[in-house]
Amino acid sequence: MREGAELVRGAGLIKRFGGIVANDTVEFAVMEGDLVGLIGPNGSGKTTLINMLTGHLVPDGGEVVVRGRDMRGEPAHVYAAMGVARTFQLTQLFGRMTVLENLLVPGLTRPRSRWQAELRRARNTLDFLNLAHLEQLHAKNLSGGQQKLLELGRCLMLEPAILFLDEPFAGVHPHLRDELIKRIQELHQAGRTFVIVDHDMESILRVSQRLVVMARGAKIADGSPAEIRADQAVLAAYAGL
Amino acid sequence: MSWDYVFVQVANGAVIGIIYALIAVGVTLIFSILKIVNFAHGDLYMLGGYFAYYIITLLGVPPLPAMFMSMAAIFALAIILERLLLTPLYDDATERKDEYGLIVTFGLAFFLRNIAVIAFGPFPLKPPSFIPGVQRVGGLIVTNDRLFAGGVGIILILALLYFMHRTIWGQALDAVSQSRESAAIVGINTQRFNSFAFGIGAALAAAAGALIAPIFSLAPDMGVLPNIHAFVIVILGGMGSVLGSILAGLLLGEAENLFTAFFPDPTRALAYTNAFGLLILMIVLVFRPQGFFGRRHLRME
Amino acid sequence: MRGLHVYILLAAAALALVFADQLSSYWMHVAIIAMFYGILASSWSLLAGYAGLFSLGHMAFASIGGYASGLLVQWYGIPIPLGMAAGVALCCALGGLIGWVCLRMSGPYLAIFTLGFAEIVRITFATEDDITSGMAGLHVERLFDTPSRLPFFYTAFALLAVSLLLMGGIVRSRWGLFLRAIREDEQAASASGVAVARFRILAFAIASGFAGLAGGFYGHYIGILTPSLGGLDLMALLVVMTVIGGMERLPTAVGGAFVVEFLLEVLRGYGQWRLPLFGIVLLLTMRFARNGLLTPIWLKFVQLGEPRVSGVGMGAATAPRDVPQKEPGL
Repeated sequence: MREGAELVRGAGLIKRFGGIVANDTVEFAVMEGDLVGLIGPNGSGKTTLINMLTGHLVPDGGEVVVRGRDMRGEPAHVYAAMGVARTFQLTQLFGRMTVLENLLVPGLTRPRSRWQAELRRARNTLDFLNLAHLEQLHAKNLSGGQQKLLELGRCLMLEPAILFLDEPFAGVHPHLRDELIKRIQELHQAGRTFVIVDHDMESILRVSQRLVVMARGAKIADGSPAEIRADQAVLAAYAGL
Repeated sequence: MSWDYVFVQVANGAVIGIIYALIAVGVTLIFSILKIVNFAHGDLYMLGGYFAYYIITLLGVPPLPAMFMSMAAIFALAIILERLLLTPLYDDATERKDEYGLIVTFGLAFFLRNIAVIAFGPFPLKPPSFIPGVQRVGGLIVTNDRLFAGGVGIILILALLYFMHRTIWGQALDAVSQSRESAAIVGINTQRFNSFAFGIGAALAAAAGALIAPIFSLAPDMGVLPNIHAFVIVILGGMGSVLGSILAGLLLGEAENLFTAFFPDPTRALAYTNAFGLLILMIVLVFRPQGFFGRRHLRME
Repeated sequence: MRGLHVYILLAAAALALVFADQLSSYWMHVAIIAMFYGILASSWSLLAGYAGLFSLGHMAFASIGGYASGLLVQWYGIPIPLGMAAGVALCCALGGLIGWVCLRMSGPYLAIFTLGFAEIVRITFATEDDITSGMAGLHVERLFDTPSRLPFFYTAFALLAVSLLLMGGIVRSRWGLFLRAIREDEQAASASGVAVARFRILAFAIASGFAGLAGGFYGHYIGILTPSLGGLDLMALLVVMTVIGGMERLPTAVGGAFVVEFLLEVLRGYGQWRLPLFGIVLLLTMRFARNGLLTPIWLKFVQLGEPRVSGVGMGAATAPRDVPQKEPGL
């Protein structure tokens, strides 16, 4: 992929739940190499947007394009196969499967993947995340922070071009959070693109190069952290909480 | 085909519908409080009928009081069963609660059905009528028992609705069904209400069993089809919606009865009547897997 | 010694085959029925235990497979194996269809839907008696025209062995991982690249095919089929067998079928009491030993074949043997 090529684009995305408009004609594009922080007050539609951009929710209007391909009607696993990985707000793992098996699943969904190779990749990933000693544990027995790391590992096994992380720092011990930030930065240096949703402003600002702000279902700002900090609309949105 | 015939069929259908509604309301109540589908519900209905029968024949109690006593007995039994079998549902450590509730109530149904064969014998039994005699409609007949069953059924349903909307206990039940945690915070003892809900649902089913017994007789497997019908109704009317269950119950009872009455091939009519409801169910589930008003999984959004 | 448990099983199987003719006709029949249920229990566990699809329509597929084979053989005079194969194919197709229809259903809804399906099948078979002979029973040509049950024993054994080999292969492959992932968390599975819809349909198709195989054999063994084969009573019994044994593994599911069938015969003197008894055992199992009564035994048994580690993993679901497996607490 060329530098700065557009990886994922949501154009005119609309999503309604009953009477509520969770996403109101949102335009959102992520370039290769971006590290985007997606922030906004609770209920601003961030997770809904992520769900639509990763195939977990069907938009009521608008379109999602991944690497130039119109993803209309495609189920989530196709997104995954195309290198779009995501974590969930509340960690969703395969609780009664081992840590190793949790990583084998995404690895083996890749075409032409082989057990031995994936085992190796899985173990390497565990090493990278400092979870290697927990290999045979059932995922549900991990601590909250370890589970978040494991979920990150699950994303990595897909060899993703882009990772959407939904509240990766929520409820995480500061020490582990620092480790998470370091991993994200390492991965970003190595060429992966990130979109991170979180409320932990400190962490987001540390990590992001670009901030997108949502409020009440609409995108209200998109720019560098400096620009955002000065943006009146953003301040208003947060103050009005 | 005379208007009398139509009238009688509609009346019979209404009675069946009311009985269905009684059973279905119990299922939906249990679902909304305990969050499980009670596969043993039909067998509680069956036991209600048998208990009433034995209260009448062994204790010499008249039919109507016997029904109430049966309801009380099944209420107590249900609470015992809930304490014994269903408490893991409230334990965070229990995984896949859906599956647990399913298998446990399924197993309970299996147990109750087979114990009934031993306890009551496999042959049909018929308790005495609530009100002997018939009403004449033109040249046709509607038995008093049917009218009685319909009438008492309506009263019970109205009583339940009153209870749910006008009493503090009913409102507490409503609260628990909406949010267990919030209800607990406000001081409602959710554990007790789980048992309570299970008991009430069972008692309603027992009433239905007692009411229907003089009309259709008792048999150990009499609960199997009503159970399935209850599920059809609850899904059509919306899992967790009491009003929906009542309306759907009435509709299904009426529709089934009319289907039987007017199906061109009388030899097959009765057999396919049951299939009719099932077919409707399957079609509904295909197009709206959560039923008309039900919302089972809210995980995604 | 590596794989000791496999050698023990093979030895047991060989012994069973060699000494089969020593069994009385009665006990041979019991064994055959046990193997019949073994195929059903293991295929149902594939559906409900691995993929998490609690279908109550499994016996209905056995019934469909049986009737299809019996009728095709009767009408067209085709050889029985061909009839059975046709039954299997029909069940695979129909099973896949049901799986497709059920795609957005979960848990109790799926159970109710498949229950509805099973009842419709049963009612139809019972009512259309000019075709199926209804409750009187359809006469089905037997596989072997001998009074001896031995050939049926060997056939059942072969069918069970082949079924377990095939299903075992699936379960130990990445497909097995995917199915379990679907059961654990469908959304996470999808996000991990698992084509959930495809695998749900496949699970239904494959499991139903095996059910059809069992049903076909049953018809051509007993010689008579009634609609009650697909009825709730037998389905409930199947659930009882599989859950008591352990619904999450093939060996424990088969074991549950064998044990319950065996006990049903041994306790025949207690007549009606047997079923409520097993009902209670099921309830106790769910309440206190949810992953099945045979599971701890099986896990200890498998440990014999992997002496290097302190515990054992999920029946070798992660295929390569050199991965040390450990199942913490259970």
